[in-house]
Amino acid sequence: MELIVETSCKDKLYLDIVDGIILPLKDYAVESIVSFSLDEIKEISRNNNIKVYVKINKNLLNEDIDKVRDILVELDKLNISGIFFYDLAILQLKKELNLSVDLIWNQTHMVNNYKTCDYYFSRGVKYALLGKEITLEEIKEIIDKSKIDVMVEVVSKPSVAFSMRKLITNYNKDLGVDNNSDLIINEKITDTNYVVKEDSNGTSFYLDIITNGTGIISELYKGGCKYIIFREYGLEDIFNELLVDTEKYIKGNCSDKNYINKYKKLGDSTNFFFKETIYRVKKNG
Amino acid sequence: MDRIELLSPAGDLERLKVTLLYGADAVYIGGEKYGLRANATNFSLDEIREGCSFAHKLNKKVYLTLNIVFHNEDTVGVLDYIKDVVDCGIDAFIVSDPFIISYIKENYPNVEVHLSTQNSTTNYKCVEYFKDEGIDRVVLARELSKDEIKEIIDKTHVDIEVFIHGAMCTCVSGRCALSNYVTGRDANRGGCAQVCRFSFGNGDKKDFTMATKDNNLAEYIGDLIAIGVKSLKVEGRMRSLYYLATVIGTYREIIDAYYDKKLNKDLMEVFKERLDRVANRETSTQFFLKKADYTDQYYTGRSEVSNQDYLGQVISYDKKNKLLKFYERNYFEVGDLVEIFTPNNDRCTFIVDELYDEDMNKVDVARHPDNIYYLKVDLDFIILEYSMLKIIERKDKKENI
Repeated sequence: MELIVETSCKDKLYLDIVDGIILPLKDYAVESIVSFSLDEIKEISRNNNIKVYVKINKNLLNEDIDKVRDILVELDKLNISGIFFYDLAILQLKKELNLSVDLIWNQTHMVNNYKTCDYYFSRGVKYALLGKEITLEEIKEIIDKSKIDVMVEVVSKPSVAFSMRKLITNYNKDLGVDNNSDLIINEKITDTNYVVKEDSNGTSFYLDIITNGTGIISELYKGGCKYIIFREYGLEDIFNELLVDTEKYIKGNCSDKNYINKYKKLGDSTNFFFKETIYRVKKNG
Repeated sequence: MDRIELLSPAGDLERLKVTLLYGADAVYIGGEKYGLRANATNFSLDEIREGCSFAHKLNKKVYLTLNIVFHNEDTVGVLDYIKDVVDCGIDAFIVSDPFIISYIKENYPNVEVHLSTQNSTTNYKCVEYFKDEGIDRVVLARELSKDEIKEIIDKTHVDIEVFIHGAMCTCVSGRCALSNYVTGRDANRGGCAQVCRFSFGNGDKKDFTMATKDNNLAEYIGDLIAIGVKSLKVEGRMRSLYYLATVIGTYREIIDAYYDKKLNKDLMEVFKERLDRVANRETSTQFFLKKADYTDQYYTGRSEVSNQDYLGQVISYDKKNKLLKFYERNYFEVGDLVEIFTPNNDRCTFIVDELYDEDMNKVDVARHPDNIYYLKVDLDFIILEYSMLKIIERKDKKENI
């Protein structure tokens, strides 16, 4: 099992600790805290012996296509381990350009079943980053039944929604203020906070609670999961130590009970790992 | 020249019939499984069969939404369900999950597959991908401008469907799990709780809201036709009969007037007024002319108003005695200015002079919804099934002028 991280600070990449890093591409990645220019990605991938994954997960517009085509060609020349993609234009471009770089299906809330994973595998996609709104049992079933290599985001403040609107700018304009700084908003019924961030691509929402999946790593490991992802955002103070301990835990075949106990301090939210969402609240008719 | 398709929602069999009679060329419906309105009244297989039969007799079409984002458990049984629906005579499936797209194209080549807006398709290269996969039509994301839509059509030559009227999501379709996190209801499997219309606390500042105004592209139907859009889609499988009859009937007139070169500014004002009056929110053009901005949202939480213009559904007309029989829906009284309109777009506006209850007792007001009433009116056109009665102006309002 490999540990992949997405940093929230460009100065700390944890290159000597983890197996892989995710670098969101500037202007073409959304729902990410920091992003990297193509030149920065080139430098990191050339100068380090680590797996580098690039994230290009915005909904691309027509005007983006030519630029993204050029970027993909450049990335294909590098030693990139994979590109996280949302828009199927990326898959089409890989096909048209006959690129060798591997792709990771990363349609945030839509990567939820083994049949669609196999569909993408049959179209040349090597990995799938599973949605965060499915249960551990569903994850294990996908790992078991799909040919695709599965990645699971285990520790993070989960991305909840993305809008192409400038929601913070608009809200502040209503207040007579010219500002698009981050907000922490509170859902009143559940008294739950969400972080709202805006950039040139739109507005992202994150649950302001850490999903602590350290307790399921062992099950994922036993189930054959090859890749787990930790995102640093919200964990900056302890991230280095957490990564060091997690690498040790994985290399010890996930048998160290002390690891689980130690990281109970990340909180008791396991997101949807043990909780199914409902979708029918009344009987038809 | 083939006219552009007017595509209407239909939440049940009666709405399907009404909307086709009022001028839709096709309807989209949800089955009892796998659609994104799990909590709506959806169609059983028998109802799908009857709906298809009704539509096909009018030379019109029925599409079924099969556009949830599938979980493992949803994949069990869906292939049998597809076969059952095909056997009912469905014309197309609206799908977001590509494993379903490829399955239908391989096994039912005579049935069309339309890519759902749930897939949030925003560029020509993505459309090319699905074209290669055999998709028959793409319903574009609602975040695109006229120029972007045109470029996609010009570069791909794929049939493109565009939302022209109705409610908008704040977030990108398929990229929103607010409902999952806030309510536990799965937005991408039909359980969306419309959390984007909630108010959120922001410390001691005014609540944070992000609800959007509704979309209304009535004034741009000519542009959409000119750039080569194939289908114009109205939102709202959970909307009322009256809403659908009014909105679909109005768009039918706009489209026909455009092709017949009769659409002018004055006529457009009449259509706009009719659409505005049935709306329960303010409207804007959202992303069609510019990036949606401050003007396309609300800042006051939920902002719906109920509409009480709909007075009744006509049951029959006794031409000899000039008596119109109808089910009452909303209060009205003698002296009110009302209008009858029919699926044939015949209209008659008149002041209510004589009103009777079911036992033919003369009354001054109709105040009991679902009760039968009669009113006296001299009509020179045929009253069809699903003709409706609506208020134009209340008596008390006229007296105040």
